[in-house]
Amino acid sequence: MAANVGIVLVSHSVSLAEGTAELAGQVGGAAVTIATAGGTDDGRIGTSIGKIAHAVRLADAGVGVLILPDLGSSVLTVRALLADPDDLPGQVVMADAPFVEGAVAAAVIAAAGGDLKAVLDAAQEARHARKL
Amino acid sequence: MPESSEATITLAGDLHARPAGALSVAAAKFDAAVEVIVGTSQANAKSVLAVMQLGASSGQQVTIRATGPDAGAAVAAIIGILAGATKAGD
Repeated sequence: MAANVGIVLVSHSVSLAEGTAELAGQVGGAAVTIATAGGTDDGRIGTSIGKIAHAVRLADAGVGVLILPDLGSSVLTVRALLADPDDLPGQVVMADAPFVEGAVAAAVIAAAGGDLKAVLDAAQEARHARKL
Repeated sequence: MPESSEATITLAGDLHARPAGALSVAAAKFDAAVEVIVGTSQANAKSVLAVMQLGASSGQQVTIRATGPDAGAAVAAIIGILAGATKAGD
């Protein structure tokens, strides 16, 4: 069985990251690896470049990792990490997508064996999905 | 000439997030374009958000229509998932 694209959820909140991973994992099924980087190193609301780097390494199966940030400085922290990619696996991209919908859509395509571009597209198309 | 295939099933349970996910994961493994049709609404089966937005519920008829080289297999796989996955009720 070929490896699947990994997903990293970056949130200011530990529980938001973990809850979104739980939901996306339920929808996508067991084939998808979702790692989380929620909160600061000491558990407060915020982001941690070290936690994100660790999550990327956990999620990587050799065929790429998609990072989904929640808001604001999550994006800046991910950008800082990607600007210095020496310790990261080869293909790591950040999605410009709504957090919950993007995670669920990306998880489904990753679970189906889609490549990194397909997973990124699924996440980013989520911004056009109507809820009602 | 691309292969085309279609089948209809009556849902035994609501098409909630988990069965919608199973449907979309299965659909995304095929090259064929796959549509889910409920009443007058239709969705790309490979888009789980679009499938969930259909809001298909128990007792409704759902048609799966596929076009492409593996259309028949895609329809068979998805109908199989709908027959099993919607029974659990979530």
